[in-house]
Amino acid sequence: MNKNKAARILSYTLIVPVAVLIFCLMILLVGCDLGDALKGFWNGAFGSTYSIAEVLVKASPLILCGISVSVGAHAGFTNIGAEGQFYMGAAVTAAISMYAPLPARLLLPVSMIAGFLAGGIWAMIPGILKARFNISEVINTIMFNYIATGIVGILLQTVLKDPKAYYPQSSKIPKEMYLSKILNGTRLHSGLIVALVCAAFVYVFIRCTYSGYKIRAVGQNPRASLCAGIRVRRSIIFSSLLSGGFAGLAGVCEIAGLQHKLMDGISPGYGYLAIVAALLGVNNPIGIVIASVGIAILQEGANGMQRAGSVPTSISNVMLGMLVLLILGRAVFEKRLAKKGAHRV
Amino acid sequence: MKPVVSMKHICKSFFGSYANHNVDFEAYPGEVHALLGENGAGKTTLMNILYGIYTPDEGSIEIDGVPVVISAPKDAITQKIGMVHQHFKLVSNLTVSQNITLGLKSKGYPFTRRSLIDKRLREISEQYGLAIDPAAKISSLSVGQQQRVEIMKLLYRDVTTLILDEPTAVLTPRETEDFFDVLKRLRSSGKAVIIITHRIPEVMEISDRVTVLMDGKKVASLMREELNEDVLSRLMIGRELGEVRRTLQQSFEGKGLSVSNLNIKENGLMQLSNVSLTIAPGEIHGIAGVAGNGQKYLAEAIVGIRKYAEGSIALNGVCLDRLDIENRKKLGIGYISDDRHRDGLIADMDLSENLLLSSACSRYVKHGWIRKKDLTAAAEETVKRFEIKARSVKLPIRYLSGGNQQKLILARELTEDVRLIIAFQPTRGLDIGATEFVHKLLNDYKAKGCCVLLISADLNEVFSISDRVSVMYSGRIAGTVNNNGNVDMTKIGLMMAGKEQQA
Repeated sequence: MNKNKAARILSYTLIVPVAVLIFCLMILLVGCDLGDALKGFWNGAFGSTYSIAEVLVKASPLILCGISVSVGAHAGFTNIGAEGQFYMGAAVTAAISMYAPLPARLLLPVSMIAGFLAGGIWAMIPGILKARFNISEVINTIMFNYIATGIVGILLQTVLKDPKAYYPQSSKIPKEMYLSKILNGTRLHSGLIVALVCAAFVYVFIRCTYSGYKIRAVGQNPRASLCAGIRVRRSIIFSSLLSGGFAGLAGVCEIAGLQHKLMDGISPGYGYLAIVAALLGVNNPIGIVIASVGIAILQEGANGMQRAGSVPTSISNVMLGMLVLLILGRAVFEKRLAKKGAHRV
Repeated sequence: MKPVVSMKHICKSFFGSYANHNVDFEAYPGEVHALLGENGAGKTTLMNILYGIYTPDEGSIEIDGVPVVISAPKDAITQKIGMVHQHFKLVSNLTVSQNITLGLKSKGYPFTRRSLIDKRLREISEQYGLAIDPAAKISSLSVGQQQRVEIMKLLYRDVTTLILDEPTAVLTPRETEDFFDVLKRLRSSGKAVIIITHRIPEVMEISDRVTVLMDGKKVASLMREELNEDVLSRLMIGRELGEVRRTLQQSFEGKGLSVSNLNIKENGLMQLSNVSLTIAPGEIHGIAGVAGNGQKYLAEAIVGIRKYAEGSIALNGVCLDRLDIENRKKLGIGYISDDRHRDGLIADMDLSENLLLSSACSRYVKHGWIRKKDLTAAAEETVKRFEIKARSVKLPIRYLSGGNQQKLILARELTEDVRLIIAFQPTRGLDIGATEFVHKLLNDYKAKGCCVLLISADLNEVFSISDRVSVMYSGRIAGTVNNNGNVDMTKIGLMMAGKEQQA
C-alpha cells in the first residue's frame, strides 16, 4: 500500500518536469529564443498585479463551468454542453437587462437566478432524454451547444440587438447590474467569489448531503441504486439541472462582471476547456479550482510569450492537450512503478 | 462401435475445488449424447475442456483412438469438434454467410466469391433442414434461427462432433420441436451430437445415451433402453440431503406476504404465469428449481424492480402494486440479490457508504444531511457484529471478499423493522461458515415473525431451513410441499424438470 502511494505521488510529480521539458522543446521547435519566451510567459501570467488579475478573470468562468461538468459526471451524466448552457445564461442576463421592468438593484440577483435556471433547463432536456429514453447525453449536449449559439446569434440580430450599434451585440447593461470590482485598476470582479462559493457548495453538497450521495451512487452503479430504492431517473435529471445551472451562472457573471453586454463569441470555448479542467481536477471542486487557475496561467502566459518573443499562442492549446495525455498516461506509469516496487520487495 | 471422442480421467479444479473429478466421457458417431446434471455439476466445464477453452489438470483426450492435446478452440476445430455456446457468438449487423465465414480464408481470399459460399450453405441448410437464408442479416433472425446459424457455422467447418450447451434454454416449445428435428437429421448423417442439459424430458425424447454428472463426478452412463425419468431424476439430485436445521414455526399476527396470479410476459415468453403464493409471518418459504425458471422475475416483481401488468402483491394487508421500490422497502422489505456486484453494492464506495444505500437506511439522514458520525459508528458496529473482515470502514468494498460483502448486504437489508426478506441465492459463493451464519440469521428473523422467501438453486439449502417449499418450472409454480422431513425427492426432481404437476 505504501509502495503504491509512493508510486502515485512520484507519477504525479513527474508530470511537471516532463511538461516543462516538452514546453521548452516546443518553443525551441518554432524557432524562438527560449529565454525571451519564458520571460514573456512569466510576465504574462505573474508580471504585474494586472496580469495576475487577468489570470483570475479567466479562471472564474472556468471554475464555474468545471464544477458544472463535474456535477454531471458524478451522476454519470457526461455534460459536454457547458458552452451552450453558458450562452443561455448570458442571453437571459442580457434579456433581463433590456426588458425586465424591475427596480435596478434587483436586476442582478434576478438574472443570477434566471441565468442558473436557463442553463439548468438547457442541460435538463438532454438529462430527461437520457433518464427516460436512454438517449446519449454526449451527443445531445453537443448538439444543444450549436442550438444555443444559434439562438444567441438570432437574438442578437433581432430583439436583443442594440439599435445604436453596428455590430450584432446587445446594449450595455445598466451600471447597477455590474458585479463589483475586487481590485481597482484591473478587470477582476466578484464573479471569482461567486465561483469559489459555488465550488465550496458543490464540495459540501456532493460529500455531505443525501442528495449528493444519491447522485454519486447513481453515477457509480445505477442498477444497484435502483434495486436499493433510489429514484435513479430523478437523480440524473436533478444532477443535469444543477450541472447546467452552474454553467449558466458562469454566463451571467461573464456579462455582469466583465463584458457588460452580450455578443457573438462571448465565450472563447470556456465550456469545452471546462471539460479539461474537470478532468485535470478529477471532478473534485478543489482540484477544479487549481486546474482552472492553471489553465488560465497557461493561456495568459502564452499571450505574454507572443508579445515578448512572437511565440504563437496556440502553443498553450498544444500544451493543454499534452497535459491531458500526460495525466491519462500517468495511471499506466503508476501501475508499472508499483509493480516494479513489488518485485523488489 | 468405436467412439469418436473419448475423454479419460479428466480432472479440473478451480481455486482448490474440483469442477471435474476423474470423469470419463465418450461420444459415438450417429448418436445424441446427453450430458445431464444440476447447475454447477461440471457439465459445461467438461465440454469446455473438450473444446479447448480450459486445459485439464489431469486426464487425456482421444479422437478416433488417437491421443490429442487440445489447447485452444482452434485445435478443437482442427479435430472436427465444434461447440455452440449458451450465448451465441454472432455479429448482428452482418449476414448469415458473413458470420459463418468470419475468420476463415475462403478460396480466392480476399476476393471471395460469396455466391459459391452461399451455394454451399444452401446445400447444408437443405441437407439438415435448417431453413436459413445465407443472405439474411442476423439481426432479422429469431433466437431459434440464430441457433441454427451457429450449428450451420460448425457444419460449414465440417465438424463431426457437435457440442450444444443448453440448446433449448432459449427456445420456445415450437422452436424446440424444430430443433429436435435438426438433431435427428444430424444423428442420421453420422455426426456425434453432445447436448448439455438439465431437462429430463428432453433427455428422454432425444438422446441415445446419457451421462449424468453430479458435483463434478460422473455418477452414471446409461443407454436409451435403460432410461427412465425416475432413475434420471434420482441420479441427478439423488444425494442425501443435509441435516435439517429447520426451527419450529411459531404463529404471529399479520397476514404476511400474498402474491396472487402474477403474470409477466417478456420477449414473447411468459416469464411468470399465474404465480400465487403466501408466506405467513414467521415462515421461511423456499423456492426450489433450476436457475432461470422465473425465480428472478418473482423476486424482482415483489421488490418492485420489475413491473407486472397482471396480478397483485400484498404485504400484511397493504397492496404493493402501486408502490415504487423506495416505498416498498420502507414497508420493510429486505432484498438480497443473487448478483451482489450488479444489484447490491457500489464497488468503489466504502463500507459505511454502502450501508447507506438502501432507502430503509435513511435513518442516517437528517434534513438532507448525512449524519456521518452515526453512519460511521453504525458501520463499525456492523463490522463487529457480523464479523466482517475489513481493515477500516473507509475501505472501498471492492477489496472485501465475497462472504464479507454478502454480510454487509445482510446487515443493510435486515434492519430492525424488516417484515419480509427476499433472500435470492443468499449463500452463493460463500464458504461453509458464512453459509451457516446466513441460515442462522434467516432463522433468527423467522423467530421474530418475519416472512422469508428463500430462493435457491441448491436443494440442500432450500430443504435445510424452509418450512414449505415450492418448485418453479418455466415461470410456473410446479408444486408446493410441506418440508416435514419425509419429502419425496424423486417427485421434487420431476417437478424441477417439468414432468410432474401437483395441485
